[in-house]
Amino acid sequence: MYKNIFKYDDMKRSEHMAVRTTVGWYFWTHQLLEITGPDVTAFLEYMFPNNIGSLAVGRDRYTTMLNEQGEIIDDVVIMRMDEDRYWVSTLYASKTDDWWYFHQGDYDVDWSEITDEWEMYAVQGPRSKEVVESLVKDSISDLKFFAHMDTEINGIPCMINRGGFSGEKLGYEIYVHPEDCDALESVLGPAVEKAGGKQVTEFQVMAWTLPTEANFYYMRDLAHTNPFEVGLEKNIKWDKEFIGKEALLKVKEEGPTREMVGFEVPEADIYIRSKQYGGPGEAVYLEGEEVGRVSKLVYSYVREVNNGYILAQKGRLHIGDKIRIHGYDAVITEKNWM
Amino acid sequence: MSKKIDERIPQNSGEGAYFKNYYGIQSPWNKIYSYQDALHYASRFESVLSAAATQALRIIVPDYKERAQLMCEEAIERLYVTGKYYGDDDGFGIHPFMCGQYAGALIGDKGDDALLMCGRCQDFGTYRAEKELDVCDWDICGSELCRTTTMSLQGQAKASAERRRKGPDIDYMMVEAKGCGDRHCRIIAESREKYPAPPHELWESFGPAVTDDMKKVTAEEDCVEESMMFREECNYHFVNGTNNETDSSNQMINMSTGASLYILPAIAETVKRGYVTREQADHILKCVLEAAGKAMFGERYAIKACRDWLGVPQSIGEDGRVMGALIEMLLQSLVCTYEIEAFNKEEVIYVIDRSGLEITGTKDVPETHVWMWNGMVKTLVNAQWSLWEEDSPAGKLRIRIAKKIDKFM
Repeated sequence: MYKNIFKYDDMKRSEHMAVRTTVGWYFWTHQLLEITGPDVTAFLEYMFPNNIGSLAVGRDRYTTMLNEQGEIIDDVVIMRMDEDRYWVSTLYASKTDDWWYFHQGDYDVDWSEITDEWEMYAVQGPRSKEVVESLVKDSISDLKFFAHMDTEINGIPCMINRGGFSGEKLGYEIYVHPEDCDALESVLGPAVEKAGGKQVTEFQVMAWTLPTEANFYYMRDLAHTNPFEVGLEKNIKWDKEFIGKEALLKVKEEGPTREMVGFEVPEADIYIRSKQYGGPGEAVYLEGEEVGRVSKLVYSYVREVNNGYILAQKGRLHIGDKIRIHGYDAVITEKNWM
Repeated sequence: MSKKIDERIPQNSGEGAYFKNYYGIQSPWNKIYSYQDALHYASRFESVLSAAATQALRIIVPDYKERAQLMCEEAIERLYVTGKYYGDDDGFGIHPFMCGQYAGALIGDKGDDALLMCGRCQDFGTYRAEKELDVCDWDICGSELCRTTTMSLQGQAKASAERRRKGPDIDYMMVEAKGCGDRHCRIIAESREKYPAPPHELWESFGPAVTDDMKKVTAEEDCVEESMMFREECNYHFVNGTNNETDSSNQMINMSTGASLYILPAIAETVKRGYVTREQADHILKCVLEAAGKAMFGERYAIKACRDWLGVPQSIGEDGRVMGALIEMLLQSLVCTYEIEAFNKEEVIYVIDRSGLEITGTKDVPETHVWMWNGMVKTLVNAQWSLWEEDSPAGKLRIRIAKKIDKFM
């Protein structure tokens, strides 16, 4: 008997469901790299497999970053601030800094980490738009998904970015300078409460349960996979050169050897190890043969079931398959529990 | 004495024979051990030394509670200051949005793996974390050390939290400890805001946990013996939940020992608080460490095993080269550089890089080794032999192993 750390936790449940049903806000600062220079777009095109050049000023794009073997070494959001100035939102700025430095070559670019200059607050959920709209000086009503704009909240200069990591159709990120955090929280918290929402404080909710329910990945899920294995190959721009292209073309030609599949464990109180805590994750056996490892195992408060991902050998596990993991019955499912 | 260096198998023996190069340590007679073996050897030897040093501390402060409280106070303050001024959040995979003390668990998680204390993280969240260890080389040092390491983590967590937006304070507890005879070490960290419990003194850091029913106990058959860095299933890398990834070289960078990080600083604290003078503390340490050294080879089979481990030829009898070789293996394992000034049947002299032996920068670590080695040589070779420091150049520890008659020994 291992008491489920999610199912019976009313605090986690209420924070998770606030985002799903009304609105939740949380401190969600990521690391930011600002990169500029005459060759900046060409350099980023080379660093990232997705199309960067087509990104309009004021818009954002999600992309993976690959090594020469085509393995994902980071997944980031790139924001085009000006024609020759971008922000890259990551959680691995030091590694990215090293990686770029190593590959800069003759590209005329310059970058610096500006994490200390900006804090970020996520406002996510169906009522997030009305909350943010009630606070900002300039209307955000026409702000498209993955677009950002400068404005003010109660005289506090800020940038509003429409996007998020919760899987909600409506979600915003508010960037402010660190010295303005207290002032922002003093108006944001009450506005969210007025809309029936609350603050999300639990790391496991903001980083695991909300994103997993919506088929989003935390970087730990993606480590040492390639985009084909985790379903992130759709936006790769093949008609350009980028790091990892050669290896990835081979994967494209031969097909991936692994795939990320969803699974559920109906029994509530379980002990199955998963990669999200570090380590290799529980081995998944099929007819006595190891066919995968548990990448993620959390809880869907929407579906009321233990849910997660298995990184499995391609084609070995199919939706509806019943398997046993560490002595517990499990079933293979779609990767979306919304 | 001639300061002659007897024939030894050179470190690059076999070069040009097209063997692959391996990372490892080599005895003077070409017994080669892998980097992994070397780490295990160094870790356990230093743990034995640490256990002996703990006995010295127990003599100085006999009362368990008083001693444990002193150790915890010293450690939490020192590690807090260290964490405050030399903290490396990025190096531990602590993300900027992590508010409060829970992120400190990432520091402990990585440190455990680096010290070969393998196991697994069972929970990691804003209000609760759980880490379970299957192996801990420090498990012979005494349960007061278990309490102290927990409080050092508390200090580091506090320092790390102060660099970010405010979040919950966390109470770190070692609710099971191999040093107490438990199968596992288990740290459970709880926010008292969410899981209320009465306050406790620093030394009472063994729980119980409010969330005891959430703990996940790994069965014997699922326990591991190696850190992730040495496990194929982990691709020979430590990886935590925030995708902080390190290879096995990280272990040497992070090498610390119970003595260097906790026991010797605690003894220094007893001097500061007036329990004993520095001279008295050193006298007690010397007595205990020499005795511990003698105990290592008190049985003849231990000598035989050691000679076999070092590859000592039959032609070499009872002389200081055997002890010297054993010291060389430790120094190589610690990546501590040394020069051989003499290596023959009359005497062995090493000039050791002092800073390399000052593990975690603790200045008196080299002396503790000299005292213990002097005890060891008495039984590994025989009582005619001694080991002492002599004419050390600046920044070096020059030790001599030779026969010595001392009527006050």
